[in-house]
Amino acid sequence: MEADTINLAHDEAAGAPPRTGSRWKEWRLTLKIILENKSSAAGLAIVCAYLLIAVIDWVYPALIGVHDADALIPNFSNTVPQAPSFAHIFGTTYPGVDLYQAIMAAIRIDLYYSFQVVLGGAIIGTVVGVCAAYYGGYIDEALMRFTDIFLSIPYLPFAIAIAFFLGREISNISVALTLVWWPLYARYARGQTLSVKENAYVEGAKASGVGTPGILRYHIIPNVLTPIFVQISLDLGTVVQVFAGLVFIGFATGNLLLPELGTLISNGFGFAVTAPWTILFPGLAILIFAIGMNLLGDGLRDALDPKRRT
Amino acid sequence: MKLRYYILRRLLFVIPTLVGLTLIVFILIHVEGTDNLIGSYINPRAGNIAGQEASAIQLLHLNEPLPYQYFYWVNALIHGNWGYTHTGIFNGPVTTAILLFYPNSLVLAILSFVLLTAISIPLGVWSAVRRNSLGDHLTRVASFIGYSMPIYWLGLILIIIFASNNVNPALNIFPISGTVSIELVSNASWYVQGVSFPTHLLLLDALIHGRFDIFENAAAHLVLPVVTLTYGTLAGVLRVTRSSMQDTLSQDYVRTARAKGLSENVVVKVHARRNALIPVTTLLGFTVAALLGGVVLIETVFDYLGIGYWTTQAFLSNDLGGVMGATVIFGLTFVFANLVVDVVYGFLDPRIRY
Repeated sequence: MEADTINLAHDEAAGAPPRTGSRWKEWRLTLKIILENKSSAAGLAIVCAYLLIAVIDWVYPALIGVHDADALIPNFSNTVPQAPSFAHIFGTTYPGVDLYQAIMAAIRIDLYYSFQVVLGGAIIGTVVGVCAAYYGGYIDEALMRFTDIFLSIPYLPFAIAIAFFLGREISNISVALTLVWWPLYARYARGQTLSVKENAYVEGAKASGVGTPGILRYHIIPNVLTPIFVQISLDLGTVVQVFAGLVFIGFATGNLLLPELGTLISNGFGFAVTAPWTILFPGLAILIFAIGMNLLGDGLRDALDPKRRT
Repeated sequence: MKLRYYILRRLLFVIPTLVGLTLIVFILIHVEGTDNLIGSYINPRAGNIAGQEASAIQLLHLNEPLPYQYFYWVNALIHGNWGYTHTGIFNGPVTTAILLFYPNSLVLAILSFVLLTAISIPLGVWSAVRRNSLGDHLTRVASFIGYSMPIYWLGLILIIIFASNNVNPALNIFPISGTVSIELVSNASWYVQGVSFPTHLLLLDALIHGRFDIFENAAAHLVLPVVTLTYGTLAGVLRVTRSSMQDTLSQDYVRTARAKGLSENVVVKVHARRNALIPVTTLLGFTVAALLGGVVLIETVFDYLGIGYWTTQAFLSNDLGGVMGATVIFGLTFVFANLVVDVVYGFLDPRIRY
């Protein structure tokens, strides 16, 4: 732990605040700034509500009236969609599925895969981007040209092609989307690292004998992660839309009973005109989540911007 | 650097991008093994399957090491031998499918692109100038919703509103699916199985043959897909235009221009707007990617016979030739569109030529 002590000494010498406890304070300040702004507070509330639904689906689905969170419960004696009523507050969709339960159960699956895509993409992209920028030279050239190749195909057709070769399974959609999503993070992390790397404190740390792992761990990564974190929150809303979109055009195994918002829209497709609620409610579930996530993302960007916090 | 050299250098950059693009499709194909690849070079209606198989192996040099195979595969692509596609909407050579479907998608994408540029940039500038006015707030809310809305869902909502058996017959004005009404084209000799001759652009061909009713009908079929695609991709450009214009308006030189006593009109149009639009140009490249992705979803929703609809059909019927061809053509379109955007960018902003 020698690197640690050196680092601490260096930080104090540079007049940086002591590390212990400061991170917790930072988060509390961020939360305070978010809550002060009406729109970002609304975004936070929406996102928390969705997360809560997902957790309840996972732990005790009966609490929100969901009988089975893993599969839709069909009613083959009456598969035609029924209008919203007291028994089915959002109505039913093909094949006789209660839409309220279906949407509540679907939120967990959509959120799960979307988080997987964005986090996977962010981790791969950040590692590639930070390495490229930190080592520079040939490594930078090679990694970034490799990244550019991935950016040379529009992401949706590219994801379709990858999913085609992987096989039509819902988990493969998330693999395909991760593979098309990371290059953006790589570019982003690279740009951020390049600007952080030139700071005097990094040079100071190098001069005082801190090795590469120490510099990356204490000086580069924490500064790169903040904007990446904002980007994650802005991307989640988009990924939920794209993910459900790919399932909608027929990516899943054709499993009608998979509780997923894209499947629900696609099940209702044939009844769109006679039973608009089959399309309306699943789409609204996506729209509201995306709005919440984008509001929160905008708020986070402002809250984590050092120029705006005093 | 002169603009000429900049364009030349940018053209040279296209070569490694194309190599990368084909390489990645090639790797994807070979992850699965070559059986499907051979299958996509066989035309079942021509008979002699074993003979075709042998000639496909010979054409693609599948007995040789992978680098050679890559070379011969690209060679086949360059010579227009892209294999066959077998889907519900088209059976035949991939290149023919592209010739048939590409013009339709191009019309859709170009109309949306023109429309979104024509709406979002002036609106973004106006929104920044009239900052915090009611109009600004409304614009921002509308663009925020557009940004968060799944584009295919918007298409479905429009279908529900404009469907012919809707409760309100007054709304029955725009057709909700297809590219043209079948009964109109059934007696036109230049329209065969969903394809119009000679240009394959239905709008243009209808004019060439003097059929204004078909032109009108095909244009009406374009309305809903174009509106959906435009609204879904407009928000990004609008947001960047607004914030860029806002930043520019707070610059010192704008203050100087105002202090000189220039009219607000001149300050906004001559001094601020030109500089504010520079970052917007880079974003237009990304917008092309969003448009091409949107095309896939929108064409599927509206049963519009284009590359995107064909891609989904090929995907669903496990058709390697179609998926491969579509991916390559999407990639080529994207590379070319980015080339155009970069050249325009270099033309507008001399700083980036260095």
